[in-house]
Amino acid sequence: MRTSLACFALALCACLGASVAPAPLQAQSPSVTLSGVIASASGEPVNGAAIAAKNSATGQVRTTQAGAGGHYAIPTLVPGVYSLTVSAAGFSAWTTQITLSSVRQTLNVTLTELPSVPGAATPSAPSLSDLGFTQQQTQANPQLQALLDKRTHMLRVHQRLGLITAIPMAAAVITGPMAKAKGKNGEVIREPTQANLDFHAALGGTTTALYFSTAYFAIFAPRIPGETKHGAIRWHETLAWVHGPGMILTPVLGYMAYKQENAGEKVHGIASAHGTVAWLTAASYGTAIVAISWPIHLKFWEKNP
Amino acid sequence: MIRCIALVIACSFAALPLCAQGTTQWILVQSTLSYHMSHPMHEVDGVSHGAKGKGTCSAGQCSFLIAAPVNSFNSGDTNRDLHMIETTRGAQFPMVVVRAQFPQALTHAQTIYADLEVQFAGQTARYQHVPFERTAQGDQVRIAGTVPATCSDFKIDRPTFLTIPIRNEIPVRVDLTWRPQ
Repeated sequence: MRTSLACFALALCACLGASVAPAPLQAQSPSVTLSGVIASASGEPVNGAAIAAKNSATGQVRTTQAGAGGHYAIPTLVPGVYSLTVSAAGFSAWTTQITLSSVRQTLNVTLTELPSVPGAATPSAPSLSDLGFTQQQTQANPQLQALLDKRTHMLRVHQRLGLITAIPMAAAVITGPMAKAKGKNGEVIREPTQANLDFHAALGGTTTALYFSTAYFAIFAPRIPGETKHGAIRWHETLAWVHGPGMILTPVLGYMAYKQENAGEKVHGIASAHGTVAWLTAASYGTAIVAISWPIHLKFWEKNP
Repeated sequence: MIRCIALVIACSFAALPLCAQGTTQWILVQSTLSYHMSHPMHEVDGVSHGAKGKGTCSAGQCSFLIAAPVNSFNSGDTNRDLHMIETTRGAQFPMVVVRAQFPQALTHAQTIYADLEVQFAGQTARYQHVPFERTAQGDQVRIAGTVPATCSDFKIDRPTFLTIPIRNEIPVRVDLTWRPQ
């Protein structure tokens, strides 16, 4: 019975792990290439215009820039409804909804020049090129934008899963004492009930599966070139070096303790550190959540609306 | 002869206001731009000292241009700043560009009311009659005020924390020191 419940807990963990992990094995569908020409109202090609296609269903954004002659192409798009935005310096941003279904689809866009502020067009009015910014500072970088979009998407999943993980983790810590044999050596040892033991094991397994799924989205979120970390994120990441190993060690020690308890023994040896390691792990995990949320305005109800 | 001298003097006085309205150019020497983001559990300020600017006053009108890289704003946390750049599409539209217009006659007033055109996040928003306090500091002039910007002005999806979005208002405090070129 104990073995079957342990198997059930492990199966539950596996299912949860599978359900929250990314799904790279999606059904393969034919991809679409969207292409066309970006031009001004006078018919001049707008080289360097930025084109962003956002999949309405998944929220995924693909970007590119118009090249010579205003030509652009976004290959390997998944068929579906997209929100397309075209923008260029000196022109109003242009947006439309488009359904992509055929293998090749063409969309030519005509941009409208921005009306200038009265006086801005006077020869004496300064222009952006007068200010001395480098081309690198002023030029659009669609690749970087795509990287930032992916990073934010992955970290958003990381944040949500992280908060969800805190629930079974707290429950596992709370139920820990109920799953522990009580009494000193030489005295009558009071065994925990099988239900308590299995419930605690299931919570621990769930926490472990959710935790490593959460970690996946942080570890594999794209790094931004030239990014030097400062502020709360450094504390958040440093604390991962405490709760990360803790989340490996806690289930291992827990499994050892579970086996000892099932064999009718009082938990002994290194397995007896299971509770302490679990507490330290949960505390550092909670601190990491607070750290990334810092500074928190605790008395938020006192704030003006 | 006397009538001739009187005419010259009269003409000279008449020309004085025109001299005062001659072309002057200004250059930005020091700047602090800070946006304020508000959430029930957070109050965050992102500060940039990376703005550059130039101004020209001629023919009774002043035109000023101030620009700052979006990635020059620092809120004290890399993660938050990168999220801000992503949300405002700061890699695709890397500059915040502000054009200000006001009558040249106001250049010596204590409060200058300027019309602003702000290009940010691929959008353009206009603000009329924004007050800026002017303080003379030797040959330099300090201009300070707040641009009443909002997320919706620039079609920015408001970031959320614990499913609660930040407030729509993101006022931008401007503190600029100019000197004549």
